[in-house]
Order: sequence, then C-alpha cells, then structure tokens
Amino acid sequence: MNDTATETIKDALVEVGVDLVATLPEGNFQPLIEKIEAEPTITWVPLAREEEGVGICAGAYMGGMKPALLIMNSGFLDSTNALTTLNLLAGIPVLLLIGYSGGVSEFLWMHSQVGAATEPVLRALGLVYERAEKLSEVAAQVRDCQALATITKRPVALLLNKECLR
Amino acid sequence: MKRYECLEAMLPFVAEDDLVVTNLGRVRDEWHAVRPSEGNYNVFVLGLCSSVGLGLALALPHRRVIVLDSDGSLLINLPTLTTIADQNPANLVHIVFDNQAYESAGGGRTHTAGRADLAMIARGAGFENAFAAESLEDFRATAQRALEGTGLFFVAARVEIGSAPVPSNPYDAMETTYRFMRHLEQLEGTSLLSLAPPAYALPAHLGWGRH
Repeated sequence: MNDTATETIKDALVEVGVDLVATLPEGNFQPLIEKIEAEPTITWVPLAREEEGVGICAGAYMGGMKPALLIMNSGFLDSTNALTTLNLLAGIPVLLLIGYSGGVSEFLWMHSQVGAATEPVLRALGLVYERAEKLSEVAAQVRDCQALATITKRPVALLLNKECLR
Repeated sequence: MKRYECLEAMLPFVAEDDLVVTNLGRVRDEWHAVRPSEGNYNVFVLGLCSSVGLGLALALPHRRVIVLDSDGSLLINLPTLTTIADQNPANLVHIVFDNQAYESAGGGRTHTAGRADLAMIARGAGFENAFAAESLEDFRATAQRALEGTGLFFVAARVEIGSAPVPSNPYDAMETTYRFMRHLEQLEGTSLLSLAPPAYALPAHLGWGRH
C-alpha cells in the first residue's frame, strides 16, 4: 500500500468525521493502520479479534463517536453473529472497511475460498456494500458508505481489493 | 453467594449517571429490578457486553461504565480482555458473575468449573486491578473499592447457579438502544439520533446545506 493510497483513505475517514477506528492487521493494511495510529483526530483501537471490534464500535457509536472497523474479510466472516445480533437487531450502524483477500488481484491461493464467500455472505446478511477497485474512487465511496450507514442505522461495507490499495 | 445479592450489595456505590452494560441472560432482568434506569444497556449477543462497554468508556471518558458479564460470555470473547487492558480506560469496571455454567443454555459446565481462573486471566491480560470475590462481604468490599476509585477494574465473583424471581426486562434490542441513546442525549446535552443526513451527503443541487 503506497503513501497516496493510505493518505487518501485516512483523509476520507477524517473528512466524514470518523473518530474511532478499530483495526486488525492485514498485510496490505499495515501502512494505513500506521497512518490511523498517527492521526490525532482518531482514537485507534488495535484489536485481538475482529468480532470484539464490532462491539467496541457499537459502544463508541452509542456514546456519540463515528467508528469504523478496518479488518480483513476472514475477520468479517468471523464477525457475522455480532453484526446480526448486535448491529442489525439493535439498529446500530458501523462503517466496515474490509480487505478483499481472494478478490480481484489476489496472488495467494489460500485466500480463494474466503474471497468467494465474502460477497454472498454480505448479501445473505442483507448488508449494502460497495467494491472499491480504483483509488480515484475510494474517497467518494467512503463518504457514501458512511452516509448510508448513518441514515439507515445499519452496517455498510466497503470492500477494498488489493488493486485499489496498491 | 447469589448474583442478586451481589447486585444489591454494589448498588450503593453506583452513581445515578453511571452507565451499566449487561450480558444476556437473567442478569439483565435482575439488574433492571435492582436499578431501573434508562442508563442500563442490554447486549443480546454472548460475549460482546465487555467490548460494548469498552467502546462506551472510550467515547465518554467522563462517565463511569460498569459491565455486568458472566463466565460463559467472557470465555467466548477472551481476547477482548487484552484489548481492554491495552486501552486501559480509567472509567471502566468489568464485573463477571461466575456461576461456572451456561445456565441459560441448560446448565452445562464452563471451564471455570474446572481449572480456569478469570481474575488470574485478567491479570495476565494486563489488568492491574483484578480481583476474585468468593463471599458477599468480599464482593461488597471489592465493588466499593472499584466503584469509588479511579482506574480500570476487573472483579470476578463466584456465585451460585440460579436467579431471583424478578420480572423480565420488557425492552427488545431496538428499544433498549433507542432508550439508552435518548438517555445519553439528555445526560450529555447532545444530539445522537438526529434524522438529518450528514451535510457531506447532500446533493449540492438541492441546496439543503444552506438551511
């Protein structure tokens, strides 16, 4: 992930008022996580497991913050019960920034199944999502996803594929 | 010691504006009977009440947040102890009622019925103040210390299986969220549930942003 990509995404988060980001590292994300850690307007919460991040973001939202969860799609699959039985059951939004391992421009074979399952599971949960494929479009997509999450009080996901993060 | 007795014992040390996040199971009904308040929030997914409590504590550092957790719930979300300790919020008190069983799911044993020690696990996760309470007097003293002090606290209370004959809390997840957030709006003097779209999302040609 180059400096332009990390700056673009971090700036887009700041612009829409995101002030807490819970993260679990993914190879492509590490430079972005470092930018988030260094951003003074964002409370950075490094996680030990993605599902707890769903709970932390829910609590932060109720307390008046605008949280986002930056995780890999494997962690999204791990978080599906939390997203249904916390967010969807209780009307709690969250911006999900999901690394699309096994998606377009993947280069590691072991991510193939998690990649294939990602969009069907998002649809099965009834979650609206966007695919970020070009860096030039990411800032607008972050804005649109955060706005939709806010007004619908539901999680909305932005799938970041490796091409977009280069 | 019974969980309900513990809840009654800690009540004098809970301030009116303290926010209390409960696990699913009968603890939410018992706490609602002991302290009926819009400042009680019920989480309906096993394990996440402690994480929700952390998020609240980070968002509202000037408010005390108390988490009423259980052994089965904590065990399913153990990693979050390391995350809570890593953030180390000075306004969070994490209380676990350990009945050594999945009581709501038929009473099967949890690992605390065997060799697992939750207070020791919390200490290992990085909690400086992590205590185990075996008796009601023990619990009362520990709860007082945690709730009258400052800093992150963890208290594991060994309790019997069983719950008090209190009525069921009548709110579903959606209603508990709305009530809790309306309560926070009043408490904080702020707007949390506005229906107004964010200004950045408004199409410029509508001109709404000028109002």
